[in-house]
Formats: sequence, C-alpha cells, structure tokens
Amino acid sequence: MFRERLRENRKRLQKLLRELVRQRIALVGLVIITASIAISVLAPVLVGPYPSSVQGAATLQPPSSEHLLGTDYQGRDILTLLAYGGQISLLIGFSASAVAMILGTAVGLIGGFYGRIPDQILARATDFFLVIPWLPFAIVLSMVLGPSLRTTIIAIAIVSWPTTARVIRSQVLSLKERLFIERARAVGAKMPYIIRRHVLPNVMPLVWAEAVLTISNAVFTEAFLSFFGLGPPPGAGTVVSWGTMVNQAYTALALISNPPMWWYFLPPGLAITFVVLGFAMLGYGLEEIFNPALRRRR
Amino acid sequence: MNLRRFLLRKAVYVVLTVFLISALNFLIFQILPGDPTRVLLPRGGSSNQAGESLRQELLHQWGLDQPIPTRFVIYLSNLLRGNFGTSITYRPGIAAMDVIAPRLATTLALVGLATAVTMWLGIILGRVSGWRRGRRTDVLITMTTLFGYSMPSFWVSLVLIFAFAVELNLFPVHGEISPDYGTLDPLSKVLDRLYHLVLPVLTFAITNIAWFSMTLRNSLTDVLPEDYMLTAAAKGLTEDQQLRWHALPNARLPVVTAAAIYFGWVLSGAIVVEVVFDFQGLGKLTWDATRALDFPLMSAIFFIATLGVVVANALADVLYMFLDPRVREA
Repeated sequence: MFRERLRENRKRLQKLLRELVRQRIALVGLVIITASIAISVLAPVLVGPYPSSVQGAATLQPPSSEHLLGTDYQGRDILTLLAYGGQISLLIGFSASAVAMILGTAVGLIGGFYGRIPDQILARATDFFLVIPWLPFAIVLSMVLGPSLRTTIIAIAIVSWPTTARVIRSQVLSLKERLFIERARAVGAKMPYIIRRHVLPNVMPLVWAEAVLTISNAVFTEAFLSFFGLGPPPGAGTVVSWGTMVNQAYTALALISNPPMWWYFLPPGLAITFVVLGFAMLGYGLEEIFNPALRRRR
Repeated sequence: MNLRRFLLRKAVYVVLTVFLISALNFLIFQILPGDPTRVLLPRGGSSNQAGESLRQELLHQWGLDQPIPTRFVIYLSNLLRGNFGTSITYRPGIAAMDVIAPRLATTLALVGLATAVTMWLGIILGRVSGWRRGRRTDVLITMTTLFGYSMPSFWVSLVLIFAFAVELNLFPVHGEISPDYGTLDPLSKVLDRLYHLVLPVLTFAITNIAWFSMTLRNSLTDVLPEDYMLTAAAKGLTEDQQLRWHALPNARLPVVTAAAIYFGWVLSGAIVVEVVFDFQGLGKLTWDATRALDFPLMSAIFFIATLGVVVANALADVLYMFLDPRVREA
C-alpha cells in the first residue's frame, strides 16, 4: 500500500518534470533558483568565511585580482558579501511565502467552500487588502513593529496573501460543484473531512505554484524594505542582504563619486533581479501546468 | 442588472471600503508605540511640572484622554469634515492637507505621464507578442519585459542616473526643476519639467511594461483560437484588420482591469522614484513623514492614497461595464 503510493508519487513527479522540461521557461527558472540557493548555502566553501569589518582595511577599492568586485565602505570583499547576501533574501522569501500561503489558502478555502456570509466577509477583506498600496503599508507596518527579521517576514506576508486567497477561492468554487464532492456530501461526510480529504489535495498543486510566485514577490519586497533601511537591521556579524548592499552603495555615494563605483551598486541589483526572475519563471510555468483555466493557452 | 442598481451597488461598496480603510488607519496609528506629545514638547519637558501640565493639556486638546471608541467617532467626524489632522514636523500645527495639496500636482504629473507611457508601450508590445505567440519576436519581447519587471525600481533609477546623467551627462541627476526655473518663460518651464521627468518616467516604464504587455498577450491568446477569428481570416481580411477589428476589441477588457490594479502600485513606485530622484512629491513626503515619525501626516497620506486607489478601481469597473456588452446587458 505504502509502496504503491510511493510509486504513484514518483510517477506524478516524473510527469511534472517532463512538463517542466517541455516548458522551457519553468526549467530556466528552476536552474536559476538552484544556482542561487547553492551559491548562498555553499558560500563558506566557495568564497570563505563571512568578512568582518577590519580596522584599517582598504575601503571602496575598485576591482583588482585580490578583490574581483572591489571592497565596500567597510573594506569587505563585495563578491563575498554578494554570495552570502542570498542567504537572507532567500530565508525571508521562503518564510514570508510560507506564512502568506497558510493565510491565503485558509481564507480561500473557507470562503470558497462555506459561501454566503463567511465568503462575503472574507472576499471583501481580500479585496480590501488588495487595494492597499503595498509599499507604504509595508513601511508603516515595519515602523510600527520595529525593524527586525520577524517584522520583515510578517509585513511581507500581510501584503502578499490576498492574491493567493483569490486564486484558491475561485478554484474551490469550481471544485465544489464537481460530482465527487457532492457524492461525499450525500454519504454524510462532514465539511472539515471533505475539505481535508477532497478539496485540499486538489488545490495543493495550485498552492505550490502560488507559493513559488509569492517567493519571487517576497524577495522583491524585502529588497525595497532593505533599501529604505527598514529590513532586518545589519548588526555586527549578521549577513547583509542585497537590498541593504544597494542602500549602502547609495549612501556611500557610489553613484556620483568620481569615477562612479559601478562595481559596488550593479552586482547586488543584478542578483535581486535574477532571483526574482527565476522564481517568477518557475511560478508562471507551474501555474500554467496546474491551473486548468490557463491550460487551454498552451 | 440595470445601470442604476449597478452604480448604486458600486457606490455602497466604495463607501464601505472607505470606512474599512479609515478603521484600519485608526487602528494602525493607535497601536503605534510612543506618545505623540513628545515630538512637540521640549526635550525632557515632561519630567518637570510645567512640562507635565502642558502634556496633559495637549492630551486633552487632542482627545487622547478619551476612551478608544469615542476617539474613533471623533476621528471619523473629522475625516468627514475634511480635517485630516495637523502635521507635527512641517511647521508644527499646519493642517496635514495643506502640506499634501501642493505636492499632489508633482506626483500626479509624474505618475500620470508614467502610466500613459507604460500602458502605451505595453499595449504595442503585447499586441505584437500575442499575435506572434511562440515565435522568436514573442520570446524576445516576453523575456526582455519580464527581466525589466524583475528589476527593483530603486536600482533601475540608480542605473539610469549612472548611465544617462553621470556618464553621458544627458539628463539631470536629480530634482524636478532646474535652479533657474523661476526666470524661465512659461513654455520653457513646461519643457524644463518634462526634461526632468524623462529618467523617472523611464524607470516606471522599464519596470512595469510587462504588466500590460503580458496581460494583453495572454488575453489575445485566449481570443485567437475563437471561431470568429477563423471567419475573419477566411473572409480575406489582412492580419492588421483581423487584429484591429476582431481580436483587440475582445482582448482589451483585461487591460482595463490590469490598469485598475496598477493604480494600487503607482504610489509605491512614486515613493521609490521620488526619493532617488529627489522629487518634492507625495512619495517623498511619505518617506520624510515616516523618518520624522510625523504620524498624523503619514495617516493622512495613507488615507488619501488608498482612497485614490478605491475610487480608481470603482471607475475602472464602471468603464469595464461600458466596454463589455455581456456585463452591460446581463
């Protein structure tokens, strides 16, 4: 029984992988993501220990054979900072997305399945959170809760769950009309059981697609908050995120100094772009595979 | 549904949302830690007797000694009368609205122009890419716009400043007007403003074109396999005629919805662009108010921004109805 299930799962995974390969966009995304995770996790091996600011180190040095991308305002090697920077961006991306998924899926499931008044309330709440401008809202939240890693994650989760709630709700609405749900109801299954046994397994693939897209969004939002100095505070010894690096380059006048220090502010921005793009590409690909409404398009 | 009932329902919805926004606004700025009187009192002022009585006086005057439900009612009645509170930092005591109003024009010019340019380019590119779906042109357009969409706008503005203002010296590094703006004649004034708007607008365009081009591309892809498109081709219409007369009228509706959602992001974009380019607009004001902990001002901006988005969304819904006969006659 267990074996059979395992084989079935493997078959499903193989089918998914085949689809991904067929859809080049998702595959490219997957490659970018794997590379960025590998680099940030293996940073200690690849570029050595995390640099601490050294008294008297040469600051703001242009690229040389010793420092391939030069040094920052504290004399730290920028290439090393860049490799480590992914740790914080990805950590925030994954955690914020997880929180947003739990919230969004719960709201979508309950609203879509129970309908009527609970749905009205939840759908209005979703609409409401969708129209609030995300950056000012995240800034205000960060100010209220005080900048910290946890605050950043919460703020990003609060601005990103509504999209998921909407997608899940519409999926549940169409599932609800299907015969097997009606059958389960007819034999007297309780609502929570139907949700757990029949609805949730059917919306899970879509939740994964949404989760990947939300990671992309979360990394993006984290960069903005960090650029404004509202991300996790860069204390002594803690890893600096890419958004903070751009902020520090900006503050160090990398842009208008003579000659401009392009090697300081260009790399972290490109890193953000590639990671955001990677997750977005994989997310779009998964969405097209899993969302029946989009399948027709291929 | 007839038009009257539709509009009435929309209106009720807008009023309800505005009420929710004011409630959230009140809630956020209520649970904020810190005593609002401290910003006004002299440093260490509340430790001596005179300072303490001044503090009590302020608390009473601002109604902060009332229970929270009473304060919410006071807050709502003030909002209804257009009183958004007084700024703490910009000449203390000045009405928040008077700080915001002159800035509104700068921001509206910026985001209005930026939205127009972005939508225009997005529609052009989306049309090409939807029509040639899967071919090389489509892949090129999709990948380029998606790459731009993934770039954080603060970084894009930095790169643009670096390339076009510092290296090539073509455009100003920052500001919305030249130092000698006051001496210019009216036409030069307009041109001067436009000249300063080029890089900020470009930032919006680069980072947001994909939103419109992808929307149009996907909705075109839904329309193209329809039978009436085959009929149009069989009639012997040119590609341009098929696109213009049969595909686009059916594919443009999602773009209206996309535009409505886009309004919600515009202020976020304006904050970034105005801070980096040092524009004295609403976005910069939001940022300055946040840094200065000017809560009444922040609250007022937040309220006005959300109000703008809600109204824009409602207008888009009404526009949608006029454009879509199915909704209009249903």
